[in-house]
Amino acid sequence: MDLGPFEENNSVSCRLSSEIPSMCLEEDCCLGIDEAGRGPVLGPMVYGICFCPISKKEDLKDMKVADSKTLTEAERENLFEKLDEAKSFIGWALQILSPNTISTSMLQRSKYNLNALSHDTAIGLVQYALDCGVQIKEVFVDTVGPADKYEDKLSKRFPGITVTVRVARDRVVKGWNFTEQLGQVDTDYGSGYPNDPKTKAWLLKYLDPVFGYPQFVRFSWSTAQTLMDSKSVTVHWDDDEEGGEKGAQRLKNKSMLSYFGSSAAAQSQTAAHRFFSDRRLKNIDTL
Amino acid sequence: MSTKKKRTPSAPSDSWVVIAADSVVDSKRRDADPSFVKLKNPRTDTVSLYMLGSGDTQLYEVKAFDEDYHSWFIGQTVQQDGRLLFITPLDPLYLLLPYLLHAGKEKFQPIEQLLVDENFPACSRLLNCPCSLSHIAEEKEVGSLKFFRYSQERTLDWLKKKVDRTVVALKKKNISVGEGVKSATYIKVKTESDCPEEDYLRYAHGLISEYLNEDLSNALLKHLNLPEVTSPKESEPPSKKRKLSDKPVEAGEDYTKFNSADFARKPPKKMTAAQKTLAKVDKTGMKTMSSFFSPKVKTEK
Repeated sequence: MDLGPFEENNSVSCRLSSEIPSMCLEEDCCLGIDEAGRGPVLGPMVYGICFCPISKKEDLKDMKVADSKTLTEAERENLFEKLDEAKSFIGWALQILSPNTISTSMLQRSKYNLNALSHDTAIGLVQYALDCGVQIKEVFVDTVGPADKYEDKLSKRFPGITVTVRVARDRVVKGWNFTEQLGQVDTDYGSGYPNDPKTKAWLLKYLDPVFGYPQFVRFSWSTAQTLMDSKSVTVHWDDDEEGGEKGAQRLKNKSMLSYFGSSAAAQSQTAAHRFFSDRRLKNIDTL
Repeated sequence: MSTKKKRTPSAPSDSWVVIAADSVVDSKRRDADPSFVKLKNPRTDTVSLYMLGSGDTQLYEVKAFDEDYHSWFIGQTVQQDGRLLFITPLDPLYLLLPYLLHAGKEKFQPIEQLLVDENFPACSRLLNCPCSLSHIAEEKEVGSLKFFRYSQERTLDWLKKKVDRTVVALKKKNISVGEGVKSATYIKVKTESDCPEEDYLRYAHGLISEYLNEDLSNALLKHLNLPEVTSPKESEPPSKKRKLSDKPVEAGEDYTKFNSADFARKPPKKMTAAQKTLAKVDKTGMKTMSSFFSPKVKTEK
């Protein structure tokens, strides 16, 4: 697995894929989808598909790629090598969603939540396989939310994919290339999950009062947000929620009543001409 | 995000982002650095910031682009104040005008005597600006001394020229002046020639009035032969009236397709805590909302 394309620019979403085995173009195939790194506040989320001819399912089982969560990192790497050796009939494709992609999606003006992002990524990967000409007849999907059953089912019937996405995520996190000029970065950030004390300590250490965190951190996670709210400079955006009369007043919203008054003429005398008010230009009395 | 943030007032900063006319800094004299001065705003009579440059011979006004949620990154620093200052040349006559007006039409006085203002001591520096007071005042010369008296006629003629020049500038810069256009980003399909001259005149009058007190602004309006601003009531659309027709009135859409039964079949949705407590309320003797809307025949049964 060559992570080069992602490491070149790890602030975007990147697709990596194997060559399409010729068998998959001719025979009916099954396809599995899985994800790794949904929960952590650090590092990317990786989505992956794995596909092989239905006739080769037994071969896959024989390789004993069991649920990767019970395996050590070294064992997973070994298994991934095995899968790679079977490239005559197993194909895969990955979408690495950088933490920056996750942050900007979830925090943009029209919120694009993690579920929607996940679904669209999964759909995109299946579409990719179809576009490549893979004859997909069965698809196994990991559902989002409390659906452990589905997940078990998926990893049982299609274990290869779980291994692949986990290996990819581990490698990306391990070799993360910080674009920020942080000097020697302390890479002892624990599991990356919000409840890990090591992760929390690392987040505090790398919190900049103005910029917040390096791009390695998912800003949209409440862990990151809470720390930024309490420790760094407050930043106001114009889509910040600000309820009540005060908010309206600050936004210079007019009261409904003001439209019914007869003081329209008096107002026009005190307000600046619309040439200036349209351009937000005003006189000042101090610097 | 549900956290409410408190906005702290901008701390005074020691740097500003400024767009200024070249002449502000292209001073030939080394000792003539431009300086900010506080002078009386001719429209409001309150303090506003201006700038004097080239050894007090050039007057500039200072306008700030100021909008919420802006900050600057300047070099390696952040500045909370996101204002952008514009320093543009201003005709000093606008600032001299209030002092002449205040002195009245009674007697001729030397300008030095008129420009004494303990609230704005810097106003005497305006004397160094070359400008022709004859646009706004009558002049008398006694020996080497010059005496001035405010003239409304001259002032209005001078202001009319200002308005005409502004109209030319507005057309040249393609600025939307129509009453219907409330947004500068609104793109008009009509060409500028469609816009009546009166709209331009009124707009230019409004702009010039930014530098005049209210009385003078109204006098200028008359001088330009512009009618008083029409009250918004007159421009309101007439109240809707039913069209006269012999044909019977029919509903445009069929509303009978959906009746209450259709809604009742929907599966119960998850309720919020508030809805749950409401649901527990004793409803004996209460009618449902829908019962008020069902046909009368049903209630008779």
